[in-house]
Amino acid sequence: MAVESQYYLLLSAAVFCVGLFGVLSRRNALIFLMSVELMLNAANINFVAFSYQYGNLTGQTFSLFVMALAAAEVAVGIGIILVLYRNFKDIDVTKATTMRW
Amino acid sequence: MSDSRMSRALPVVATLALFAVFALVALDTSFGAPSGFPADASVTESIGYLMFGLEGSAIPGANFLAAFEIIDLVLVAALVGSVLLARREDDRADPLKGGEE
Repeated sequence: MAVESQYYLLLSAAVFCVGLFGVLSRRNALIFLMSVELMLNAANINFVAFSYQYGNLTGQTFSLFVMALAAAEVAVGIGIILVLYRNFKDIDVTKATTMRW
Repeated sequence: MSDSRMSRALPVVATLALFAVFALVALDTSFGAPSGFPADASVTESIGYLMFGLEGSAIPGANFLAAFEIIDLVLVAALVGSVLLARREDDRADPLKGGEE
């Protein structure tokens, strides 16, 4: 007995909202990266669920590309956080209000 | 005091409201029984065929060859970009010989 697709949608909405809450309420840039990761993975849950729903592998294959894009995003994000820490001695995103050297 | 309490409560309220909308929409929708994949077809093998745009996939799906090449460029760009960001500007020495740390 397969799980019906709307429960996958519900799980995905929950994971996305956890990620959104992390972005809205935290100040640590590393937790921002984790929260964005949660939101991307919520989209992946939907892709895989509807891939199964329609018997078509486009969604599963596309979710692999979303994962690769998430990895690229984290690489650049960690580089930016490194520079942020070097310039401001802190990774609080509300402190870095200028883009000077 | 009440201002900081407001700014703390706003993300919670916004996230819960968004989740409520998502949940109402998801649970109100009926997708029917999932069609699933044929039992004798290998999902992993079919993903491999689709990713490289080859004929012979047992399960239908879109052609992802172009996306595969583009994600290749994106990953290389992210790698170079993160190395560029993480390098110290005052480090003119040979990176293979190590810095002052």
